[in-house]
Amino acid sequence: MTRPLASGRPRHAALTLIAAAAIALSGCSAATGGGTGGGAAGGSEITVAGTYAIDSLDPGSPTGGSATGTQLASQAIFSRLVRPRPDGSLEGDLATAWKPDASATQWTFTLRQGVKFSDGKPLTADDVVASFKRLLELKSTNAANFAGYTMTATSPAEVVLKAAKPDAAVPYKLAIFYVLPRSLTGEDPAFFQHPVGSGPFKVEKFDPSGTLVLVPNPDHYGGAPRLGRVTIRKMPELAARMTALRTGEVDLIWGIPDDQLAELQRDSKLTVGTVPSTAVFTMWFNSSAPALKEAKVRRALWQAVDFATIIKRLYPQSGTLADAPVSPVTLGYVPQEPVRYDPAAAKAALKAAGFDFSAKLRLQFANAEFRPFNQAIVSDLQKIGVQVDLLEKEQAVFTKDLLALNWDINFQQLSNPTFDAANTLGRLYPCAAKRNGYCNPELDKLLAAAGASANPDERVKLYGEASKIIWQDAVGMFPMAVKYAYAWNRRVTGVTPDPNGLPNFAGMQVSGS
Amino acid sequence: MTAAVDVQRETPIGARRGRAAVGRWISRIPYAVLAVYAVVGGVGPLIIDYNPVRVSLDDRLLSPGAHVVSGGIAWFGTDGLGRDVLAQVVYGARTSVIIGVSTVVVSCLIGVTVGIVAGYFRGWLDTVLARGIDILLAFPAILLTIVIAGAFERSVLVVVAALSATPWISFARVTRGVALSVRERPWIDAARVLGVRPTSILLRHILPLTVGPVVALATLEFALVVLAEAGLSFLGIGLPNSAVSWGQTIANGKQYLETAWWISALPGIALSLLIINIGILGDQLTARYGRGHLR
Repeated sequence: MTRPLASGRPRHAALTLIAAAAIALSGCSAATGGGTGGGAAGGSEITVAGTYAIDSLDPGSPTGGSATGTQLASQAIFSRLVRPRPDGSLEGDLATAWKPDASATQWTFTLRQGVKFSDGKPLTADDVVASFKRLLELKSTNAANFAGYTMTATSPAEVVLKAAKPDAAVPYKLAIFYVLPRSLTGEDPAFFQHPVGSGPFKVEKFDPSGTLVLVPNPDHYGGAPRLGRVTIRKMPELAARMTALRTGEVDLIWGIPDDQLAELQRDSKLTVGTVPSTAVFTMWFNSSAPALKEAKVRRALWQAVDFATIIKRLYPQSGTLADAPVSPVTLGYVPQEPVRYDPAAAKAALKAAGFDFSAKLRLQFANAEFRPFNQAIVSDLQKIGVQVDLLEKEQAVFTKDLLALNWDINFQQLSNPTFDAANTLGRLYPCAAKRNGYCNPELDKLLAAAGASANPDERVKLYGEASKIIWQDAVGMFPMAVKYAYAWNRRVTGVTPDPNGLPNFAGMQVSGS
Repeated sequence: MTAAVDVQRETPIGARRGRAAVGRWISRIPYAVLAVYAVVGGVGPLIIDYNPVRVSLDDRLLSPGAHVVSGGIAWFGTDGLGRDVLAQVVYGARTSVIIGVSTVVVSCLIGVTVGIVAGYFRGWLDTVLARGIDILLAFPAILLTIVIAGAFERSVLVVVAALSATPWISFARVTRGVALSVRERPWIDAARVLGVRPTSILLRHILPLTVGPVVALATLEFALVVLAEAGLSFLGIGLPNSAVSWGQTIANGKQYLETAWWISALPGIALSLLIINIGILGDQLTARYGRGHLR
């Protein structure tokens, strides 16, 4: 009888498995490798590693329109009426001038002449009006800024935006309004596979799962950008982004955690820059959940987390303890009284409020980079006996659950591309927004008044009062104001760290080497 | 080369015996290593206190042997959140062994039952089961596991179920082969003629003969399961965050590979050692009991 010594199949399976594990363990290098046309090779081409997925190029999409990845792509492909400068002030993009009427209900925008779409058709006031209509019809998350607003074209070179009530923040809010061709109606995935826009770049190739390739738009009114090609690669894995930057596979990365920053600063090939951002770590409590209905409970939970220590340890360079629901570079920022870390008082308050310590709170977040921060919070809450289930979700699932209020605590790095509190406070906190289960008619009134006032000082004061209510009722915890860290290859010049994590590629160029 | 051969030829018998003894001892190393893992996984968690949720930010990224704030020594260093890596390795050993054993037991039970029934009864039952096995074999094992693990909420049960999805097939094929050949033997005919019930024939006269190959196969499968579990946890679809798993620890250390190698390296070494030793042991057992390419 023959008796073979070892069976072949299990061996083979073992090899397959080991190979699979090896691929998994080597991280994303396999997924990102093979880019022979990478940054180092091309003359004026750069490759950047996007932190966030670009799921869709449609800035009006009901689900993904306000996603960071989509915004990054949109501002390269499309034009806006106005756009913010890195310091938060506004400059005209398609509009050359804008002015409100006396009550700030009616805003008139004068359009730039001779602007063309990348397909050669002229961009007129009708395109602007149609895009605005589409934004509202699709009910994108950004459309909540313009409930009841109408836009009309008074001449081919002028549009008038009529607000439902006085609104001084209109130009700021329009910083996330992109102009698309008027022929576009409804959601049109085919169009956004090869979109036509009037921005500095055109889409050469778009693959929602990974890569967006942009080439200069020669018809851009401001002249074509000097970069020959920009490739935005999705690299959710930080280690992969870092390695890619150092090997020259990519030229620009951002959103670098502090642990890794020192390493990059030592590298002579790289430049590192940080910029105070509009982003604030925002951790809403779901006030519609029975356990979190009472402000006392929410405040106690906030008090139980030692954010000062967490920030000092995890974000020594890029984080500061936040003192308002909006960041210091935002219009409407008024510092509030810091919440003092006091676990004993927190526990006592929770007991007094009859908090159910046996129930588990669901804390949801997306993106692995925030895992340590959230784990530290869960740990602090556990110290006073509050059980938290930490749920790390895929971006799409996260957004769906976020809107469905399918969470108890929600972690978000909330940035504000408009630099105006109307877009965060005014959009997310009224009862009608239904974003965090919190409803307070008094707050509604303040936010409405702040949005309606034409006087900036008055608006800041009103947003300050609104912030105070949000802060003291602990609609959420507002632990940290964020600085964004950018690192780029020295061969790329003209990089301006953007406070929204949306670098503008139009101004960049590759220095001859 | 020739010199070496000459020396070997001239080796006295005593030295050869000595070498054989050394070989015997070396062949026992896997048993010793596995025993160490069993003891560490079984007793370690009773001695070392560890809570995966609790972090200690003041102790972040300490190198092996450094003192932690609470006064102890982190022999294996700490991870990015100040948690002890040694404790994670110890608790991870327990998790791996528990998952490995339960998965192998589950797939063994299913596989042996299916295989023995198919092999003994033959006919249409065998055809259905054997073709079913062939169909399942066509799926890539790791993919099937990932799909099952990813489709449900993370829990130990789901991981065991996902990992058991394919290994039972090998057990089924091996036992079916044994049953097919054994059922033709005279003593089975005798039992049948005597009127022994089929269940008794299966349990008394066929099952004992499958033990050898099944044990040999079980060790190999155990190694694969431990590795697959670490892989799943590494990908974030394995055990829940509240459990400690080598895969998770290795994944957590990914971004610190350059600055704090110990987070990924030490659990990785623990994992490799276990896999290698089980592999050697499995080969030894296969050489002794295995029936070869039956799968």
